[in-house]
Amino acid sequence: MEMLNIFGLKPSLFLFQVINFLIIFLILKKFMIVPLKKIFNERERKIKQSMQDAEEAKIALANAKKEKDRIIHQAQISANVLVADTKLSVEKARESAFQDIKEKTTHILSDAKQKAEMEFQTAQKEIGQMSVELSGKLITKILSDLFSDDEKQKLINRALEKINETRTN
Amino acid sequence: MCRLLDYSKGLGFMTISPDVLFSVAGFPVTNTVVSTVFVDVILAFVAFFVSKTASLKPTRFQNVLEIIVDYFHSTTSEIAGKKVDFIYPWVLTFFLFILISNFIGELPGFEEAFTVSTKNSQEVSLFRTVASDLNFTLAIAVISVVLAMLKSIKYIGIKGYISRFISFKMFPIFLFVGTLEFINEFTKVVGLSFRLFGNMFAGSSVIETVYHSIAFLIVPVPFVALELMIAVIQAMVFAMLTMAFMHIMTENADH
Repeated sequence: MEMLNIFGLKPSLFLFQVINFLIIFLILKKFMIVPLKKIFNERERKIKQSMQDAEEAKIALANAKKEKDRIIHQAQISANVLVADTKLSVEKARESAFQDIKEKTTHILSDAKQKAEMEFQTAQKEIGQMSVELSGKLITKILSDLFSDDEKQKLINRALEKINETRTN
Repeated sequence: MCRLLDYSKGLGFMTISPDVLFSVAGFPVTNTVVSTVFVDVILAFVAFFVSKTASLKPTRFQNVLEIIVDYFHSTTSEIAGKKVDFIYPWVLTFFLFILISNFIGELPGFEEAFTVSTKNSQEVSLFRTVASDLNFTLAIAVISVVLAMLKSIKYIGIKGYISRFISFKMFPIFLFVGTLEFINEFTKVVGLSFRLFGNMFAGSSVIETVYHSIAFLIVPVPFVALELMIAVIQAMVFAMLTMAFMHIMTENADH
């Protein structure tokens, strides 16, 4: 007991310190340790989530890059095919147009030739007719003074016959 | 009342037992009780402040607390494994309470600045380092050992717990070992309480002596620095020993 008095040990003070410490433990646990632990857990969860998101984003980026490369490659192939098709179409169109023009030109030339031939023939006929008429008039004029009317008529007829023969030949 | 240092008038004189300031319904209110309440207020304020302001984006203050909490959580987790959630709040509370009370005790003028007159017209300090009162150190040592004991009983059962002390296997070797174990339960309490009490009481005595005898401003600084270091070490030692006891007492159940 002497020792207890020397150190000032008293049951009431001892009990006070025990109860006091338990109360402080409860206060610290409820208001400090648990909230901080919750924050740790929440932070850890967010970090994990962020890491996962970053990983997913990385994978998505890699996939997007692959997809982009694939699309570009496909587009390149399509473009090449399109260019080749276009070239072929242009070539065909050019060929077709050329052929068409050629045909039309031939047709026009043929028409022109025919028309020219017809014109020529018409002109020839007209010229022949005119020459006959002129020859008739000339002969009539020349022979009117030298021959009688019968003789004139015979000569005219004969001349006309000759002319007609010449024309038909 | 035993006076440890009683050089002369004007020099430091610190009693081993805390000074009783007044009594309330038979309960002696000592200067360590007042200091304990002061520490309680600080810790409670910190706890309420944290609960109100804690956020995912921590302030500097929250950062410091998080470092301490996380350190004890990870250390306990490394040592105690799955039992961490039970052990570390206790260990942390021991550490914070002892640390804050020790730090406050080392504040310049903490014990000297405020004095009150007792019924015997004696001038005594209003505050005193909490851990320099054996009632406090013994109380937390008992709590530490009893907690370890309860945890052990929870893990291995009351029968298993008693068999740690009383066993007739390989008679009389295990009975002797059990007796030593039983004595060890008491030496734990004595060791924990007197280590902390001795260190803090000696530190407070040194500081007070320095202030009263060769005092002023610069001379006590190295002593205060040394005491601050001891304050941290003692808080750490108590917390770590508690952790080790709790772990060891429950670890045996696993084998």
